[in-house]
Amino acid sequence: MGPVTAADIALDIRDLRKAFGGVRAVDGCTLAFPRGKISGLIGPNGSGKTTTFNLLTGVAMPDSGQIFYKGEDLAGMKPYQVFRRGITRTFQVTRVFREMTVLENMLCVTALNVSERVARARAYELIDFVSLTRLRGEYAGRLSYGQQKLLEFARALMTDPEVILLDEPAAGVNRTLLQDLLAHIHGLQERGKTIVIVEHDMNVIMNHCARIFVMDYGVKIAEGPPAEIQKDERVIEAYFGRRRG
Amino acid sequence: MATHEHVRNVLLLAALAVVLAVLPPALSVYLKSFVMFTMMYVVLALSWNIISGFTGYTSFGHVAFYGIGAYTCAVLVADHGWHWISTLVVAAALAVVVAVAIGYPVLRLKGPYFAIAMLGTAEGTRVVVTVWDSLTHGGLGISFPSVENSLETYYAMLVVMLMTILVAYIVGHSRFGIRLNAIREDEGAAEVLGINATAYKLAAFALSAMFPAVAGGIQAYKVLYIDPPSVFFVQITIAMALMSMLGGKGTVIGPVVGAVLLYSAQELTWVNFPTAHLIAYGLFIIVIARFMPRGLIGFAIDRGWVRKGMVH
Amino acid sequence: MEKSDVRSLYLLAAFLVCAYSLPFLIGIQFGTVRADEQWFAYLATVVFAGILQGGVYAMFAVGLTLIFGVMRIINAAHGEMVMMGAYLTWVAFFYLGVDPLLALVFTLPIAFLLGVALQKVLLNAVVGQPELTALLVTFGLGLTMIYVAELIFTTDFRTIPYAPQTVQVTRTIAVGQNKLISFVMAVSISAAVYLFLKFSRLGKAIRATALNAEVAMVCGINVQRIYLVTTGIAVALAVAGGALVSIQFGFNPETGVVYTLQAFAIVILGGRGHYVGALIGGLMLAVLENLVSLMIPNGTAAVELAAYGLMIFVLLIRPGGLMGVKEA
Ligand SMILES: Nc1ncnc2c1ncn2[C@@H]1O[C@H](COP(=O)(O)OP(=O)(O)O)[C@@H](O)[C@H]1O
Ligand SMILES: [Mg+2]
Repeated sequence: MGPVTAADIALDIRDLRKAFGGVRAVDGCTLAFPRGKISGLIGPNGSGKTTTFNLLTGVAMPDSGQIFYKGEDLAGMKPYQVFRRGITRTFQVTRVFREMTVLENMLCVTALNVSERVARARAYELIDFVSLTRLRGEYAGRLSYGQQKLLEFARALMTDPEVILLDEPAAGVNRTLLQDLLAHIHGLQERGKTIVIVEHDMNVIMNHCARIFVMDYGVKIAEGPPAEIQKDERVIEAYFGRRRG
Repeated sequence: MATHEHVRNVLLLAALAVVLAVLPPALSVYLKSFVMFTMMYVVLALSWNIISGFTGYTSFGHVAFYGIGAYTCAVLVADHGWHWISTLVVAAALAVVVAVAIGYPVLRLKGPYFAIAMLGTAEGTRVVVTVWDSLTHGGLGISFPSVENSLETYYAMLVVMLMTILVAYIVGHSRFGIRLNAIREDEGAAEVLGINATAYKLAAFALSAMFPAVAGGIQAYKVLYIDPPSVFFVQITIAMALMSMLGGKGTVIGPVVGAVLLYSAQELTWVNFPTAHLIAYGLFIIVIARFMPRGLIGFAIDRGWVRKGMVH
Repeated sequence: MEKSDVRSLYLLAAFLVCAYSLPFLIGIQFGTVRADEQWFAYLATVVFAGILQGGVYAMFAVGLTLIFGVMRIINAAHGEMVMMGAYLTWVAFFYLGVDPLLALVFTLPIAFLLGVALQKVLLNAVVGQPELTALLVTFGLGLTMIYVAELIFTTDFRTIPYAPQTVQVTRTIAVGQNKLISFVMAVSISAAVYLFLKFSRLGKAIRATALNAEVAMVCGINVQRIYLVTTGIAVALAVAGGALVSIQFGFNPETGVVYTLQAFAIVILGGRGHYVGALIGGLMLAVLENLVSLMIPNGTAAVELAAYGLMIFVLLIRPGGLMGVKEA
């Protein structure tokens, strides 16, 4: 794979910083996620991956730095403004709307100016896809954790977004469903979507991502295709060298 | 929900409207006023439910809007000679303006903080109304010119109640409504999914403020005398919350059922046990909140009589 | 401290400066501020009396903040518990002829047990529920208490004549003996509770539970027992507050509501669940109230507005209050 040029970059993150009190969760991180590809974002626990997603989606305010998307700086925007520009995400710990049915979880995502018929058709299709058809009228809070993960994934796709950020999508999802999920992620990529996956399951990362970004202590320490990353000294060091409690 | 269900529900509502419209000649003065106040509590509970049941922001000071409506009507009729019906429009508009002005800062607070802030807002409004005697005659209250109005106010309340039910029904079966639910369940996640929570909360708050103000205005004209303690009475807020909870908050039918049941029960105990009824009421609040926070609708859902969710 | 945290603290400080100058400005407008020697004597007296009163406020507000801190429950019946304390004292004084302060020896254990019972029967069921449930349950309890009290004692205002002499504190400041005694009692009781929370095993367990109930549970703390003790102490503090209020002011069954709102305001101002915050908040509210009643005509309404205004603005500027307790 050749070097990434500006036109191929979907999300261009420059020198992003965020501290919580004394903890510098993201500490001058620069990342460029390629357009239309599946990227992996990995790193030890606490290295700042989720915080990066939070900064990208307006959930947290960056202290400094820029996030360019289609020539616009997303830094400091409200979450719903980021969403309207076609960027969506899932959460590491699921955040389904517990006392709403599966169908309602899906429907509430589409904007009010989309017709009810279109919204429903889309919701039914995605619910079928994640095999929750029989649970359509059940409260989301009654679903198993794996099912909640799937619902959250399906929910993120309701509006056909351009960029999809998945925070540990595989955790708690059973193997067969995981294969379906990955197949669908590839399907999305083939339709030109940009996908970023944070994941601890190295099989998922190494077999499905075109490009991998490695974070440690809030900065990017390595970047490249899977084969290179697997051999990278710094990555091995970050994961196995010195571990904190 | 399938179209035929909506048609059925609208027909049911129309039938209710017709029954209530032809009823008055058959009713005694007392019963007429009983039905009117029952309808008023339906309006109050359903409105409270829009911000607190659908959206999850427990307004513990909703009586503020009721009181504002009552005072708008009283001041304009008694001091400025307006026709009482036209004051209701002003009351609604004023309530919406106040709701937006108060809601913009206060709706940033969550959970118990919002509840306390609203309690403070309502009490604060009462004190301001009491102090501002050049406008409101202060603690003396305001009397209306005495007229026979039981029929007028009955029909006015009927119209307002039908409007409130219709609005609540539309909200409760729309994506607007489930977006409010999403804010209730997890505001942060809702925003990440494209919902401008601030705007939705304000809209819900304004909507839930409007009808109580109109009801307050009608009520003022009906009883012909108001003063700050009576129209800014904390227990009116409690009634809204309790009725919604009794029937099932976050639904459309729940607050209606709750209002009818609770108001009837209150009236019966009040008539039969004038001294004990207040104590009974306090205990009743405790029992409802302690043992059935999900309300009657919760029982119905658990037994499969009612489907889960607002949109099917 | 984060940047926004510091900023909100400055904003809060600025707001408080405005809040305290407002009575003076309005007073100048109405000509109640005279700036002569006699007026300064009034002012000093009022501030001093405010501080004395604040000690009592702080004490019963601590009860509210304890329950809120440990269980995230707003006890809307807190003021009624204060009222109950006043009536208990009144009964002890007029029917049993017991000195109001001596009466505390048996009213406080009774109050503690009532708190334990309250926790068992009602509050345990509402811990962790949406705020409305707890609000309604405790509000219902408050109503029941009010009407039971009206049934027994009628709505007449009661007073307890106790230590009515005035004490000349300095050349210009003179206050009622009962106020001084109340203050001393309130400070002693507050200090005792503070020492208990700070140094005893049980007290530490209470604080740990307030910080994080789950972690406390993992550390082997019996959280259920902590809840019982917390509510017991909270009710005892309210009843003690009632006793001290009863020897200074008149009361009837409906006065409780005002105390509930004052306690809310104090808890919000100090920072919920924060012990020292409640003490500071109590002093600040009482002083502000006294300044308002000195300088603003139409006193009582304005005094009430002071509490509501303080509460709402603090909530908006800095929901964590003076002590910056983080939003739950
Ligand atoms: N809201 C927050 N408040 C305080 N510290 C936080 C917050 N969010 C994350 N952190 C801290 O920031 C660091 C990075 O966390 P995170 O981004 O969740 O890591 P990852 O997702 O890579 O495991 C951790 O030390 C974490 O404790
Ligand atoms: Mg993470």
